[in-house]
Amino acid sequence: MTQRASTSLEFAFVCSLSDGLHARPASHLAEVANDFASDSFLTNLRTGSVASLKSVLAIISADVRQGDRCTVQVRGTDEHAAHAALLRFIEQVLPGCDVPLAGISLISANGTLPRTLLAAEVKCCFGSPVSPGVGQGKVVLLNGMTLPRTLRERVVTDIAAELGHVKRAVAAVRARIREKLTHPRSSPETAILQADLAIAGDVSFAQKLMEHVSQGKSAGQAVVEAGEFFIDLLRHSDSEYIRERALDVEEICLHLLEEIYGVDFQAAAIELREPSVVVAETLAPQQLLGLDRRWLQTLVLEYSGATSHAVILARSLGIPTLVGVRNARLVLTPGQEVVVDAIRGFVVTQVSPAVQRFYERERSTLLRRQQFLPLQTTGPAVTSDGKTMEVAANASSYEELSRAFENGADGIGLFRTEALFLERDHAPSEEEQFALYSAAARAAAGRPVIIRTFDLGGDKTAPYLNLPAEDNPFLGYRGVRIYAEHRELLQAQLRAILRASAVGKVQIMVPMISSLEEVLQFKTEISEAKQDLERKGIAFQPDVKIGIMIEVPSAGFILDQLCTEVDFFSLGTNDLNQYFLAADRDSPRIAELSDVLHRGFLRFLRQIVREIQQAGKWVGMCGEMAAEIRNLPLLIGLGLDEISLPAVGIPAVKRAISQLSAADCERVLADLIACREKTDREDILEKSQPSWAAQPLLSKELVLLGSESKNKEEAMQEIVDAFYIAGRTLDRQRLEDALWSREAVYSTGLGYGFAAPHCKTEAVTADSIGVLKLRQPIDWGSVDSEPVNMIFLIAMREPQLANRHMQVFSRLARKLMNEEFRGHLLALENAHDMATFLAQQLEISLH
Amino acid sequence: MKIVAVTACPTGIAHTYMAAARLEKVAKTLGFEIKVETQGAMGIENKLTENDIRQAQFAIFAVDIAVEERERFNGVKVIQVPLQEALKDPHSIFAKIQP
Repeated sequence: MTQRASTSLEFAFVCSLSDGLHARPASHLAEVANDFASDSFLTNLRTGSVASLKSVLAIISADVRQGDRCTVQVRGTDEHAAHAALLRFIEQVLPGCDVPLAGISLISANGTLPRTLLAAEVKCCFGSPVSPGVGQGKVVLLNGMTLPRTLRERVVTDIAAELGHVKRAVAAVRARIREKLTHPRSSPETAILQADLAIAGDVSFAQKLMEHVSQGKSAGQAVVEAGEFFIDLLRHSDSEYIRERALDVEEICLHLLEEIYGVDFQAAAIELREPSVVVAETLAPQQLLGLDRRWLQTLVLEYSGATSHAVILARSLGIPTLVGVRNARLVLTPGQEVVVDAIRGFVVTQVSPAVQRFYERERSTLLRRQQFLPLQTTGPAVTSDGKTMEVAANASSYEELSRAFENGADGIGLFRTEALFLERDHAPSEEEQFALYSAAARAAAGRPVIIRTFDLGGDKTAPYLNLPAEDNPFLGYRGVRIYAEHRELLQAQLRAILRASAVGKVQIMVPMISSLEEVLQFKTEISEAKQDLERKGIAFQPDVKIGIMIEVPSAGFILDQLCTEVDFFSLGTNDLNQYFLAADRDSPRIAELSDVLHRGFLRFLRQIVREIQQAGKWVGMCGEMAAEIRNLPLLIGLGLDEISLPAVGIPAVKRAISQLSAADCERVLADLIACREKTDREDILEKSQPSWAAQPLLSKELVLLGSESKNKEEAMQEIVDAFYIAGRTLDRQRLEDALWSREAVYSTGLGYGFAAPHCKTEAVTADSIGVLKLRQPIDWGSVDSEPVNMIFLIAMREPQLANRHMQVFSRLARKLMNEEFRGHLLALENAHDMATFLAQQLEISLH
Repeated sequence: MKIVAVTACPTGIAHTYMAAARLEKVAKTLGFEIKVETQGAMGIENKLTENDIRQAQFAIFAVDIAVEERERFNGVKVIQVPLQEALKDPHSIFAKIQP
């Protein structure tokens, strides 16, 4: 400390920096101040706060913004020199030492809100839902800085030793940052590191640390308390930028704790005492397991990965989780009441009565959906003449898989694993894969999950594979062909799949098989992985089923041998068709040639299925051909054991199967194979369609009487929710958006107290009519300006059935113009009578 | 008097048919003979023939989108209104017709 002069030197300035005196200019300023023995202080005349110019944290905390008037006072032995240097710096260097910051948005703009919430003007921030559900509670920040009790309660006997720990830690952290600064970096990165360096060496921070240690705190506890002091100070700033610096301080404190306790330092679990929303940058699985599940409502993470261990664990524990919420730790304040919507992907930060009402309805919708589901979709699909066909789903993530089961899938016919390997710079570990596969097996609850080993190469590549560029990648180095070179990768995946086979009914499938040798080699690899696990005493299912994709035509001609080696087959019709017809399916000029109805192709498929089934083996189909409901008579005609398609199509397909006869379908297939003209084939297929492939247009679940909805938004949402409960849509947001974009053209209020919102969208699983009768009339912007009592919602998809359903829709539209018809509707008081009346008037069936 | 009309709305699911029903009904009460063609999601229905159009004194287009096969109406007096007019105030459309 210097001698205090009786007077001080002073000057004033106005801050010209557009982002104010934030960390980077502040660190430069502190650097200058620290060159002198004199003390220098800055006073922000707007706020009255005074800060030591030697402390970056103090300067930042003074919250000096553009246009703020400030004074600087210098006192000490070299005050003249210090005054001159500071004055020169502030007047000449400071205005130019800042590059404008990229806008930091605390609330990301992507994502959309349901209309009801939009209309209620709620405040929220967006993220990606990775484990579905909704939860409400108080925000608890998991800052990773809480010391475990054992460390927290340690009694300090030697203050000097603790002081030594602190000083060594600070020196080490600063040395580490300096070391990083010696490597060439981009200028923003360098500036951030310099700011970090300044914080780590900050005089105010050092002072606080010393204070705590001299009061008898341990080095670690001193770091935590000093850190919390500054984090709290910065967090309460009005400036977004300064609040963000709180994270830098936290980061530095964590580095210090690592220096003090070693790199394995683990923060203590936080004690939850009430319904809580835990917010963190990222989370280790142990940290998640350490949280009290009675109170843990939801997780909100800033980190954006959907495949991290903690996320997979959260899913299997059923904890609603949102990831990729930018700056969540700054936007959300500890103790604040929030609602986390991990279905739609946002956190509502102000829980208003409108929000409460929305989520009360949401809870009831989700509950009713759960109750309705088993009625609708479970159970095998059986043709009218008694033949069963499994309807499974294709999936490439856990989300898709759980959605598939929600939609009534009998299994997963193709679980693609490529997503785990792509868009990252190193291969996924065995553990990461095991976490995913075992979660999938558990979610399947006894239903089969066919996991396909990685099908990389071709258009799917990853940097760590070092795959060559090829002129013709689809006929090149891909699928099973790269396994010999990447044995370790394959072994890790096989071990992970085998381990998951101990958890549920997992099967292994290999892509791009063209020869017997490839199959034998693959089986050798599986044996090796099994031996490896046996040696380690790790459980797996010893007779796990092994199958191959039939994508390369040559495999279809060596089935006698292949059938003796594998348990099952799946037809990958996309590649099989393009290899069979030598027609690139992505080339627009030859799009006509990529034809799954080609006689030769159908004959080839029939031959393959017959041969496999004669050998007593199982055969399914997982290509696009199985996804098109129009092809269903052919698929049944082929006699496939299973078809696997995107989840959204499953309810319609299952229903259609029950209305087709296997015997008829075999004839359809034979007719198609015999047919010469392409147009005739289209006719044959069209005639073979079931009369009502989809669900009935109207069912009593879609008739809602006595609605309490208070406005247009709520009413629309109520019908859309009813569609969701009845399995008519899986994507409520998309359906609502489609309805509202039609509404934007002009209101569908047609007068006389009636409205008929409508849309064409793939968001519905079947063409549908919904009815809502309101207790209290609501405004709909109708042509006659009268409020609306009754709403008919018309949603359509499936172009091949459009004409048949359009006739019903147009009949309804015309009838709504009829006074007598409207009068009758208004008089009906229960849903059953209403549904029956409408069915009779519109000449449709309710079943 | 004979009138022909065309109705068409953006999605062609509902309003096309509502407007057609409305025009037919109001025309009847006013004593006009009317034939309404709908251009909706089902394509053209109740299509106006050359004969229909030739015999009509007026054509009403209650449409929000372009009328298909517009050339059929060359030489006919056309009253074009937004489709909503046919729902909101169909009488005013017929009032524009001067016999």
